[in-house]
Amino acid sequence: MDAFNNLMYGFGIALEPMNIAYVFAGVFAGTIIGMLPGLGPISALALMIPITFSMEPSSGLILMAGVYYGAIFGGSTSSILLNAPGVAGTVATSFDGYPMAKKGLAGKALAIAAYSSFVGGTVSVIFLMLVAPLLSKVAVSFGPSEYFALMVLGLTAVVSLSDKSLVKGLIAAVVGVIISIVGIDMQTGTERYTFGSIQLLDGIDFLVVALGIFALAEVFYMLLRGGGGKEAPRNAIGSLKLTRSEVKEIAGPVGRSSVLGFFTGVLPGAGATIGSFLGYSMEKRIAKDGHTFGQGNIKGVAAPEAANNAACTGSFVPLLTLGVPGSGTTAVLLGALLVMGVNPGPMMLEQRPDVFWGVVASMYIGNIFLLALNLPLIPYIAKILDMPRPLLLSLILIFCMIGVYGMSFSVFDLLLLLGFGLVGLGMRLFGFPAAPLILALILGNIMEESMRRALQISGGDWTTFIDKPIALGLLLVALLSLGLPLLKKRRKKSASV
Amino acid sequence: MTSLTLKRLSVFALPLAAFAGMTTAAQAQEWTPSRSIEFVAPANPGGGWDTLARTMSRVIQQEGLADESFAAINVPGGGGAVAWAQVARDTGNPHKLFATSPPMILVPLAGASRYDHTDFTPVARINTDYSIILVAADSEYQTLEDLLNALKEDPSLSVGGGSAPGSMDHIAIAGLASAAGMDASSVNYIPFSGGGDAMTNLMGGHIEAVVGGAGEAVGQLGEGSQLRALGVSSEERLGGGLSEVPTYQEQGFDYTFDIWRGIMGTPDMPEEAVAYYEDLFAEMLETDAWREASDQLGWIDAYQNSEEFGAFLDQQQEQFSDVLSELGLLRQ
Amino acid sequence: MTRLNTNQWLALVLALLAVAYIAMAWQIPTFPLPRPVDSDLFPKVLGFSLLILSAFLFFEKPTPIAGADEIDQEAQQGPLLLTPWARIIVTSLAIAAYAFLLVPLGFVLASVLLCVGLTAYYGYRRHTVNLATSLGVVLALYLTMTRVMDVYLPTGVLPF
Repeated sequence: MDAFNNLMYGFGIALEPMNIAYVFAGVFAGTIIGMLPGLGPISALALMIPITFSMEPSSGLILMAGVYYGAIFGGSTSSILLNAPGVAGTVATSFDGYPMAKKGLAGKALAIAAYSSFVGGTVSVIFLMLVAPLLSKVAVSFGPSEYFALMVLGLTAVVSLSDKSLVKGLIAAVVGVIISIVGIDMQTGTERYTFGSIQLLDGIDFLVVALGIFALAEVFYMLLRGGGGKEAPRNAIGSLKLTRSEVKEIAGPVGRSSVLGFFTGVLPGAGATIGSFLGYSMEKRIAKDGHTFGQGNIKGVAAPEAANNAACTGSFVPLLTLGVPGSGTTAVLLGALLVMGVNPGPMMLEQRPDVFWGVVASMYIGNIFLLALNLPLIPYIAKILDMPRPLLLSLILIFCMIGVYGMSFSVFDLLLLLGFGLVGLGMRLFGFPAAPLILALILGNIMEESMRRALQISGGDWTTFIDKPIALGLLLVALLSLGLPLLKKRRKKSASV
Repeated sequence: MTSLTLKRLSVFALPLAAFAGMTTAAQAQEWTPSRSIEFVAPANPGGGWDTLARTMSRVIQQEGLADESFAAINVPGGGGAVAWAQVARDTGNPHKLFATSPPMILVPLAGASRYDHTDFTPVARINTDYSIILVAADSEYQTLEDLLNALKEDPSLSVGGGSAPGSMDHIAIAGLASAAGMDASSVNYIPFSGGGDAMTNLMGGHIEAVVGGAGEAVGQLGEGSQLRALGVSSEERLGGGLSEVPTYQEQGFDYTFDIWRGIMGTPDMPEEAVAYYEDLFAEMLETDAWREASDQLGWIDAYQNSEEFGAFLDQQQEQFSDVLSELGLLRQ
Repeated sequence: MTRLNTNQWLALVLALLAVAYIAMAWQIPTFPLPRPVDSDLFPKVLGFSLLILSAFLFFEKPTPIAGADEIDQEAQQGPLLLTPWARIIVTSLAIAAYAFLLVPLGFVLASVLLCVGLTAYYGYRRHTVNLATSLGVVLALYLTMTRVMDVYLPTGVLPF
């Protein structure tokens, strides 16, 4: 029972009164940061480094980790209520969360998000505790070829995400990749599709597109349908309670997505956003009622929420066991640890067990705090929807713009946001699904980069993608996931004939 | 006043204001700031420039070195180009500074910025980091010579770095290859999305070696580590966790590479203001708070005043354009 | 020649965009160092994919425009400035104006103006509540960002 002893040691640290206070402060600040669109965990953590400067390393990391997973936890709130994702990791939550809120089930959606996040967070802490050292080997076994294969697998979800018209879904996905490659090409330093604008050199930020296509487009759409308060007053919140059958229904998705999310998080460079998309599209494919995903299916809220929180915890594996950051957020955390005089890496478990086990134990506590903090607040937060419609619409607009400006400090990005809002409105009117675009936007660039990196390492030899067992395996799964639905359809057809 | 728009809208008002500020400054014997200083980090929070700007602001404030506060402002975009374009329009403003490092030279040379270092006023060089070469702990390469010989024999061997071709890490390895008598462009440099990403790929055996910043790598070295350092680009051995790592020069390759960090100001910043900041920063480097912060961040002080820093920048530009033109990446 | 349906119009627009995109892909300079796959391959593949997909779209049976029936019919008859499409245009212009005035006016003033103005324009008549809520939310956000998070936001004409 080595892990048990270690965990008890960790709880000894995490349960010190000051550290309990830090966990609480961290998750509380994180929840709020997560709810505000734009101000993501990266900048929040970077700005906190001076605060943690003089702290005990374990306390500092406990506080900052709390902010990180708290933000992912809190991000679902604005995704569900306003269709404005608070952080990138919760975009997928809005696919079904927002339709639920529109049906008057906001309370239930928020409650499901909270429970699923809690389970995702807790399950992944258990994994983190038990297998972190082993997993570091898995993390490094992913080179460019493997990433390319993983991205291809992720992109096959486009097919299941485009409901009514496959052609329109594919067009949305191609446009998503087109947006993702704007800017300086990392592999050559060449500018692509920047139209000579220095504002576009760094590419188009994911959140600008997501806020535009989801939140702003939604505001425009509501304006078209009559912005006045003419709509029948709706049951804005609804009950928080889940029925037993609902609990049963989401148990599977939450469990699977927690595991999937954790492993996605372990891979450097993947993280919460990709994890939540993979969880969502996996459940959509597995579910018998997969076609109702996107219309307010509770599994569509549970899966991405469990996955993104699990991925967030998973991303601590490469950070703490290898000392390499897998994402922008963990890069900032690494910087903070270095400042506090801790060198994360293979030796950290031996040199600074207090930091590792203290943080792991604090994550259990933090997740309980988050649940206890969020559940009672749901009725009050959901009151937002009771606001007079005109006021709510303009406040959503303000939120989006503050979010974008606070992230990039760029007037240009505000205009881009407007542009994507109008594009999103058009897509809605003409029946182009938004989810494939967002998915392709996230994965497209990584897919291109890793493909070219792999080919440059192999000297242009394309067999690099099938010589490696992991890459080959992932590509085969991708092929299968494309082939199966087609086979199913054909069987159905032949059965009906 | 961070955005470009204001500058566009107030083309008339601002130069006048700046001019007014300048004349009063010139009349006074000794210039001191009259309002808080905008300290621009041309990148997002968390990066090297941001850390420099925020650490300096904090130390200056903690030690009460200046009457006015230094407000760190992030202006990300274009590897710095967005911020440079903005600062360049603020001619003569003595209340605006920005953090800088080799990309100030490299980005313009690659043709990605209309403004280069000569458009701005050098204020002071603050500190420096060095480039380091890493291989996996179980690698067959024991010395830098082993690695370079292998690269000579098989140019398809890949060396990873954390930045795009033609930027810092690539220049560092290409320059070394050149000094070792190889063709700079023959190195199969693989750009990753950051130093950490490159190191993970090295641990996983996907690439042969990694070139990166010594400060970033120090946490990866030491007992039980999966990585090993073959050489560092400084003139003398570094201290702390890197004291065992030989320099390139020690191993017979006459090549050094500085990842310097410094502060520059608006175009034609008044001399009095430059003098004020020079003294302020020199004083800051002497404080214990700075000592402590830079030890933890792995920074090595390398102060130069405005004049020396300006000459140093010119010399850096010359050196980098040689390497870039050898690589065929010079676009000016 | 029959009239083109919605999908066919969309397909034509997309095809034009795809052609322009492909043309631009050929302008991407070749990298001086040899690369197995250079910067231009992906854009070319994407451009042609879009072109082929728009051909498919051309022949796909169009679906009715989503929510066309839900468009506020009553307002469509009302004053021009309040028709549904006018709402979109006015809102877009307001956002653009906000973008350009944010720095000169300062964050607080510009945001409150936008919020109060649009709310009133959308038909909310309780101006005191409107002003109080907008001011409250904007100030709360502003103070959180600048005081707590240390994020710089333009102050503009107001002194803080």
